[in-house]
Amino acid sequence: MDKKQNSGQVILIAVLAMALILLSAQVYVFEVQMSAVNLNSNPLNDYLFAIKLGSRNVVVGSIANASGGGSRTVLMANLEKWVALVEKQNQFGRTALNYTVEETAPYSSGIWLFWGANGFGVASAFAHFTLNLSDREVDADLSYLINVTTTLTVEGTYRTIKADEKQVNVTVNLLNEDKPALAGQVTLYYRVLDSWLVPNASNNCAVTDYGNGTYRASFHANIPSQTVEVSVRVQDQRAIFVQANATCSQI
Amino acid sequence: MLDNKGQIRIIEAFLAISVMFSALVLTTPMSSMPDLEKQGTLKKLGTQVLIELDNNGTLGKQIQSGNWTGLRQSLDLLLPLGVFYNLTVYDENMQRVNTQEVVNSNQQGLEAVGIQYLCVTQNSDTRFYTILLQLAWPG
Repeated sequence: MDKKQNSGQVILIAVLAMALILLSAQVYVFEVQMSAVNLNSNPLNDYLFAIKLGSRNVVVGSIANASGGGSRTVLMANLEKWVALVEKQNQFGRTALNYTVEETAPYSSGIWLFWGANGFGVASAFAHFTLNLSDREVDADLSYLINVTTTLTVEGTYRTIKADEKQVNVTVNLLNEDKPALAGQVTLYYRVLDSWLVPNASNNCAVTDYGNGTYRASFHANIPSQTVEVSVRVQDQRAIFVQANATCSQI
Repeated sequence: MLDNKGQIRIIEAFLAISVMFSALVLTTPMSSMPDLEKQGTLKKLGTQVLIELDNNGTLGKQIQSGNWTGLRQSLDLLLPLGVFYNLTVYDENMQRVNTQEVVNSNQQGLEAVGIQYLCVTQNSDTRFYTILLQLAWPG
C-alpha cells in the first residue's frame, strides 16, 4: 500500500515536528530573556530601595571624605543635598525625606574616627532617616538607619635575630560592618627612633593576603629600641581610610 | 480513486499550512510582552537594571570617569535582547553630563517609557546625578 499514500502523512508529521521545534525555541528564548530580571517586584519597593541605596552611598562617600582628611561636616552637607534632590522626585506623589546624624558618643556630627595606638582603628558614619510618600493612592512611611563602619585591628610580634636586627610579623584584619572585607590599599610602617619607615625588598618584606580581609606581613629591620612599634594605614575598597598603631610583643 | 487522491493531497496541504500558521499565531504573542503591561514591565526592568548597577557603585564610577562605553556595555549585558535604550545623565544643576550618546538603537516611532533615577557616587568626592533612562520594546 502504497508508498504514495503514506508520503502525505510523513510530510504532515514532519511539518508538525518542525512547528513544535519552532515553538519550543521561541518559548526558550522568551523564558531566558524574562529570567534576567525579577518582574514580580513592586515599583514602589524598587523606588524605596533606590532611595535607601542612594542614602547609603551618600554616607559611604562622606565617611570616605572625612577619613581622608575632609571636614566632619561633610556628612551633613551631603545629606542636605541628597534630601533636596529626593524631595524633587514625584513618581509616587510627594516625597519627604528627613535625616538626623548620630550625636551619641563616640559619634560627633554622625562621624567617628579613631586611630588607636592599641592596634584598633575605626572610621564610621551613622545617620537615621525617615521617608514619607503620600499621594491619593500611596501613603508610606519608612524609617531606616545607615551605619557604615570600617574597622582595622593590628597585632604584631617580633624576635631579635642579632643585636638590633629584628624579625617582625604583623597581622592585619579589616572589617566592613563587622564582616571581613578586602582592602584597596595597605601600607605598613615601622618606627625607628622618630621616623616611620616603610619596609621594602631590602627588609625581605613579604605580605600574604589570605583573601578574607586578613593580611600578614613579615620583615627584618634594624630597630635599636627594645620597643617595636608598627603603624598600618588601610584604604578599603570603598575608599574609606583607617589607621591603627600597635606595639609588637616579643616572642 | 485517482480523483480522491488529489483531494486528500489538497486536504493534507491545508492541514500543513494551518499547523504552520497556528504555530506562528500562538508564538507571536508569547515572544512580545502584553501591551497592557508593557509600560509597567519596562519601568520595572529599567529600575532594576539601574539598581543592579548602582548597588556596587559601578554606575556612579562609570559616570564620574566618563566611561560611556563601559556604561553602554553594562546596559547591553543587563537588558534583554531587543529592548532599545537611551540613557542621559544630568548633574545637580540639570546640565547634561554624558558627552557621548548612551544608546543602542534609534527609538523613533516606538512607544518608550522614561525612568528617572538618582545616583550618588560612593567615593570621597560625592557627586549627585539624575539619570533618565528611556526604554522601548518593539514587540
